[in-house]
Amino acid sequence: MPVLKPRMLAAVVCFAGTLASAGTVQAADDAAKAAGIANEICAGCHGVDGNSVAPTFPRLAGQQKVYLLRELKDFKSGKHVDEVMNPIASRLSDEDMVNLAAFYAAQKSTPGIVTNPALLPLGKALYMNGNAKSDIPACSSCHEEDGSGGGKFPRVAGQHVEYTLNELRLYATGKRTNGARVMQAVAERMSEEETRAVAEYMASMP
Amino acid sequence: MKHTLLALCLSTLIAQPAVAEFHNQPHAAGIETYGYQWNTPDQDMNRALAHPADAKKGEAAYKICKGCHKADGSGLADADYPQLAGQHASVIIKQIMDIRAGRRDNPRMYPFSGDWIVSAEEIADIAAYLNALPTPGSNGKGNGYNLAHGKALYEKDCATCHGKSGEGDAGKFIPMVAGQHFIYLKRETRESRDQGRRNASPEMVKALKSYTDADVEAVSDYMARLSVAGKR
Repeated sequence: MPVLKPRMLAAVVCFAGTLASAGTVQAADDAAKAAGIANEICAGCHGVDGNSVAPTFPRLAGQQKVYLLRELKDFKSGKHVDEVMNPIASRLSDEDMVNLAAFYAAQKSTPGIVTNPALLPLGKALYMNGNAKSDIPACSSCHEEDGSGGGKFPRVAGQHVEYTLNELRLYATGKRTNGARVMQAVAERMSEEETRAVAEYMASMP
Repeated sequence: MKHTLLALCLSTLIAQPAVAEFHNQPHAAGIETYGYQWNTPDQDMNRALAHPADAKKGEAAYKICKGCHKADGSGLADADYPQLAGQHASVIIKQIMDIRAGRRDNPRMYPFSGDWIVSAEEIADIAAYLNALPTPGSNGKGNGYNLAHGKALYEKDCATCHGKSGEGDAGKFIPMVAGQHFIYLKRETRESRDQGRRNASPEMVKALKSYTDADVEAVSDYMARLSVAGKR
């Protein structure tokens, strides 16, 4: 009987392992792996189910899968500069990122927190119709009327006011440059009051 | 001392971080350039024109335009966002590609038309989608005071290319002007006359050369009121 060399043996074991984890087993396996990573690495800031408590950390529950994966990849590559997320994402494999994106997309989001209800009417008007005087398009055209987003356009409904404000300011000052240059133009055209108002309105969306 | 101050001032100017640089529109040669040839297709435009357009996909990709040009493609009369519903697909493709390449200056729209957000193929899909939409008759009009004069000018100078009813010509990349917003028509006609619309056809610029602002207004009002059979 021929004796397998160690390298060959490793390859055979690997192959057998791939076969065993095919199909639904694979899916359950991936979800479990993602939950493990989420618990171990992400939960401290983003919450166990992606509904973060601290308003500086974005809520990820129910976020668009395509958007989450792109962000993770951009954090890893450094295209999206963020001193907290860059080192964390650098430890994730491509597979981890795919699994994590699916994990957070599947979590149920809890209602967001409005911090200044007086700004909601202005926020809603801007979100739904934009402001033609300063060439601000309606947010609803890409992020949808209910704030659910779609594909590369992130969900904004229920997001923390502070996080949204911070991101819009990073876009406006050219410090967040990944993804859509569109958002840089939009954020740059928005007044301080409009920026605050739209962040409040997004937080109010279920 | 003076020089040092000047140098200091200049260096602060140069050192300013250019916030908008990520979405600054490029500048390509246009009508102001010797030897300019109207509608010279580039690679991007050829790709869009060769693409078998899918209006259904175009509807989805139109998201990025809808925030200003509205769900029905009607634009906004007061903000001079043009009406796009029923416009020729070739015209929409040409104009977007001219903005992308910097042959038509439009810093407002440029960030929403680049290849980071829409591919050449998606632009073709969007154009097919818009072309199939009915043209609303609710577009912005002028004051209606000089329509007879507008008609005379239109028939003398414009109808040969843009058609008697303002229908344009898809094959020749000539826009449908019927049902377009008056404010938009007025601005673009004036800009074409003054060579500010750098992707304008030299023939048109020549025809507009002697136009007064009042002429531009009259002919724009007339065009805004035209309608093309079967488009509504």
